[in-house]
Amino acid sequence: MSKFMFVYRGGHEGMEDASPEQMQQVMQMWMDWIQGGVEAGWMLDGGDGLKPEGAVVSADLSVTDGPFAESKELVGGYSMVEASDLAAAVELAKGSPMPKSGGTVEVRELANVGKQEE
Amino acid sequence: MNPSTNQLVEHFFRHESANLVAVLTRAFGMRRIDLVEDMVQVAMLEAMHAWKQRGVPENPAAWIHRAAKNRILDALRREKTYEKAVALSGQSMAGQSIDDQESIVDRWLEDERLPDSLLRMIFVCCHPSLERKTQIALTLKTLCGFGISEIARGLLLPGETVKKRIQRAKTSLATANVRLELPQGDELTRRLDVVHDVLYLMFNEGYSTSHGTEPIRDDICEEAARLCHLLCESPCSSPATKALLALLLFHAARLDARTDEDGAVILLEDQDRSTWDRRLIGAAQSWLAKSRADQPTTFHLEAAIAMQHCISPSVEATDWGTIVRLYSRLLERHESPIYALNRAIAVGQAGETREAMSQLESLRGRDVMKNYLLLDCAFARIHELEGNTEEATDCYLVALSKAVAPHEKELLQRKLRKLAD
Repeated sequence: MSKFMFVYRGGHEGMEDASPEQMQQVMQMWMDWIQGGVEAGWMLDGGDGLKPEGAVVSADLSVTDGPFAESKELVGGYSMVEASDLAAAVELAKGSPMPKSGGTVEVRELANVGKQEE
Repeated sequence: MNPSTNQLVEHFFRHESANLVAVLTRAFGMRRIDLVEDMVQVAMLEAMHAWKQRGVPENPAAWIHRAAKNRILDALRREKTYEKAVALSGQSMAGQSIDDQESIVDRWLEDERLPDSLLRMIFVCCHPSLERKTQIALTLKTLCGFGISEIARGLLLPGETVKKRIQRAKTSLATANVRLELPQGDELTRRLDVVHDVLYLMFNEGYSTSHGTEPIRDDICEEAARLCHLLCESPCSSPATKALLALLLFHAARLDARTDEDGAVILLEDQDRSTWDRRLIGAAQSWLAKSRADQPTTFHLEAAIAMQHCISPSVEATDWGTIVRLYSRLLERHESPIYALNRAIAVGQAGETREAMSQLESLRGRDVMKNYLLLDCAFARIHELEGNTEEATDCYLVALSKAVAPHEKELLQRKLRKLAD
């Protein structure tokens, strides 16, 4: 088995005007999906959301407020997942609430995990 | 993740947002309601984002209260700098210090004090300066936490209309700087009447089958009953409030039985009475018992009629004589053709079909009844009771020709098919 990181981007466009009931539904969708994955064993860590504000440290050690990506480009959260290969991990990502809410999931395999286990 | 932290109470977001808007508007004034609503919205979004992956914190209400309070205080502090500048330039600065306001807000957000702010907000949303329709929309938005599009769906209105209506109401209340106070004495009696009317009509908006069967409509009924219950538990309530709650609960007990799985309307006589909610009927009965008054109101009488239906095992076993008497007492108070129509049907059900016919005939001339298919349906019903299938069919056909809403047509066609069998 390999380990993957799901990197969530965007998906909050239009949420500013969402009703409280809609927010609760979106949240419930996420919690159910993560809980389902935990019970099935492939969701290693539901991860967390990231606050939009932060800072960027550059090579010359200068620091800027940021990140200044557009909101749909902005990393909004991550989860850790286990799957047999990339294709299987992609299938899991398709089942996440992210595509439904207009955002994307970047699926990235962890570089060393497989080797350590061998 | 702990599964117990993975579920929130139903409508948690909706109710918490209403709680916060009531408390924060009470603290910072009607003139700030737009700012309050915006900050509560931001806090709600923060909660959604923070909880969706890691689960709900142990005390989600406290979390959201803190987030909203911080947001609004930050916004006000920013304003304060501005106001200070204004003050230095020689103009006056109003209000208490923000720290004082913060501790007051904390106190008002405590569980046992929350209802007090909600009650005050009920009287603001049902302010006599507003039109009835506006009061209903504003109550749904402010006290129930519904979004504009949900209200529009529930009331069958364009979203833009609902939005404008609510915005105008907020502006006029803010301009008048209406305070979140509990009315006292005679003023309370007068204002309470308005609140009763608003809750009664709000419930009807959700209950009336002519508006379709969107799930949001059940929520509207539930909210009207919840707010009425809140009033009943407070010293502001009168016997009429308790009778109204009883009436709403008797109706609510039959909510699920009124439509089949396809959403088609099922009439009282065809409803499966075993699906009526016995728990709600019991609660309604005990509120009705608590509502005793020297002068029974229309709510008392309507609740008593609803109870007769709810406690009866079948249409045939219903105490129609009592229902006729109750409708007569309603008619003494309020000469409504709808009451008269329902009394005539009850008279027919009680076995006096000839008397029922003549009562219905006397309604024919009434202007409001002209295009009202319920009168034709009532005639049909009495003919049916007499065993006159042919004439009953004719009356249903007339009703069908007047029906506009698809579900009404469907219901009448079903009736006609049944008669043809």
